[in-house]
Amino acid sequence: MAVALVTGASRGLGRALARGLAEQGWSLVLEARGAEILEDAAGETRAALTGGAQLSVITGDVADAGHRRLLVAAAEALGGLDLVVNNASTLGPTPLPDLVTYPLDGLRRAFEVNVVAPLALVQLAAPLLRRSARPAVLNVTSDAAVEPYPGWGGYGSSKAALDQLSAVLAVEEPTFVVWAVDPGDMRTQMHQDAFPGEDISDRPLPDAVAPGLVRLIESDLPSGRYRAADLAAAPARP
Amino acid sequence: MTATVSDAGRALVGLADFTLPAELEADVPPEARGITRDAVRMLVARRHDGAIAHTHFSELPRLLDEGDLVVVNTSGTLAAAVPGTDGAGRRLEVHLSTELPAGLWTVELRLGTDPWFGAGAGDAVALDGGGRVDLLTPYSVGAAGVRLWVATVHTPEPLHSFLAVHGRPIRYGYVRGSWPLSAYQNVYATEPGSAEMPSAGRPFTPEVLTRLVARGVGVAPLVLHTGVASLEASEPPFPERYRVPGATAHRVNDTRRQGGRVVAVGTTVVRALETVVDARGVVHAGAGWTDTVVTPERAVRSVDGLLTGWHEPEASHLAMLEAVAGRVLLERSYAAALSEGYLWHEFGDVHLVLP
Repeated sequence: MAVALVTGASRGLGRALARGLAEQGWSLVLEARGAEILEDAAGETRAALTGGAQLSVITGDVADAGHRRLLVAAAEALGGLDLVVNNASTLGPTPLPDLVTYPLDGLRRAFEVNVVAPLALVQLAAPLLRRSARPAVLNVTSDAAVEPYPGWGGYGSSKAALDQLSAVLAVEEPTFVVWAVDPGDMRTQMHQDAFPGEDISDRPLPDAVAPGLVRLIESDLPSGRYRAADLAAAPARP
Repeated sequence: MTATVSDAGRALVGLADFTLPAELEADVPPEARGITRDAVRMLVARRHDGAIAHTHFSELPRLLDEGDLVVVNTSGTLAAAVPGTDGAGRRLEVHLSTELPAGLWTVELRLGTDPWFGAGAGDAVALDGGGRVDLLTPYSVGAAGVRLWVATVHTPEPLHSFLAVHGRPIRYGYVRGSWPLSAYQNVYATEPGSAEMPSAGRPFTPEVLTRLVARGVGVAPLVLHTGVASLEASEPPFPERYRVPGATAHRVNDTRRQGGRVVAVGTTVVRALETVVDARGVVHAGAGWTDTVVTPERAVRSVDGLLTGWHEPEASHLAMLEAVAGRVLLERSYAAALSEGYLWHEFGDVHLVLP
């Protein structure tokens, strides 16, 4: 029974992806900061579990080292860990400030959540991943990591760092498959926070994007950086 | 109390009145259920963010940090139940509870699986194997009569040798089968003296202790010899004999000064440390009998975390747990343990409360 850890699973893409993995028979450890909304998301995932799959739900902040250890301990209790999905992210300060006035504490927090925490989780999870028949890491990135959008310097540079961590991890750990996935713009709370007051209803819902990620996870596609838009055509796993 | 609603909006069990389903009573040791001691389940509850996580005890080293200190009670379990015959020819079992000064003991008489309230001062019980217990005066009187007596205990050979041959571990009704004393002994037990196993330490194995030490987590001993459990809600916990070594007191103080966490293994460790902590939170060496009762009103000053078993409704231990974990987290923990099917009692699962 495969076990996945999904961070930031209470809303948006993380929530949709957790449900999608549950439908494919995965056992899951879910985490997010807000207890109430996480419990709500967990109810949805629990209903989607199949076979003997199990669910563990833990409230906390990925930037908190003690919380991260709890996540890995919970995965161990479900039988191990085959996939780490680093989805939890912070935009940093909003409205998105220009770099010349960017609050440095906000930048540090963005790097703590978007770069340090994902690597720390992979480090903690590595002993369990090595026991997996097919260890995988999926880091959720952004087009802001490669495109110079005004205001996105803090978030974008943290995601660029995450991209590079993903790429280097893939060559250092050849037995791991490491995907960095840009899901594209979605109708999420985070996207709304980035564009306060704007109508974002033209963006796709995370429910429409998550199936592509599930297909990637279930595929034999190698380590690399992928765009969700391109994954619709990904070949199914033989 | 009645059911309340948590911050997460879920109905919770009341701590004082939940019903423990029979299937959640661990009736045999984990080894007899096909798992190792350290493979029992562990619910982790964190005070600062309210997180509750389910894992196994063997994950403990992963959850503690370099610089943390685990304090264990190295009191060993006695084969404290000895069969005998009273003056009327009645077959009783004597439970030796606590050794008092001057060689006296507090003892409980049992008839079958129930307390026996029919004895009087001056009565004697002839122990199998040639020993003798003389009841001197009541020690604790419950609604049904005298439950604990002050008594003299005479044995034809030194007491511990006598018990090793003629005694057996105290066992309650929920346990199936008769298990050897080793099943009731913690791996680090060094000094026999407890009537009942200080069971929070039961899941420790040499391997877990080694991994803790390798991680930089300290392990420090103290001794508190447990008596028999209080039976009635109205009975306060009885005084117990303890010893906190100077080296352990120093390590507790140093750990907290350096920002590490002190994690007590068992309520007995909390009782002993709370006996020797001063108003400023400094722990001192000490030895004697303690009548300290830890309650939320009194608060806990010497420890940051607690590893403990699952306690029965109305157990006085729950008041101590509330002092460590806080009411809301404790209720959520118990609700989660009940719904997830955790096992209760000395052969059951454990509960780790972290700050």
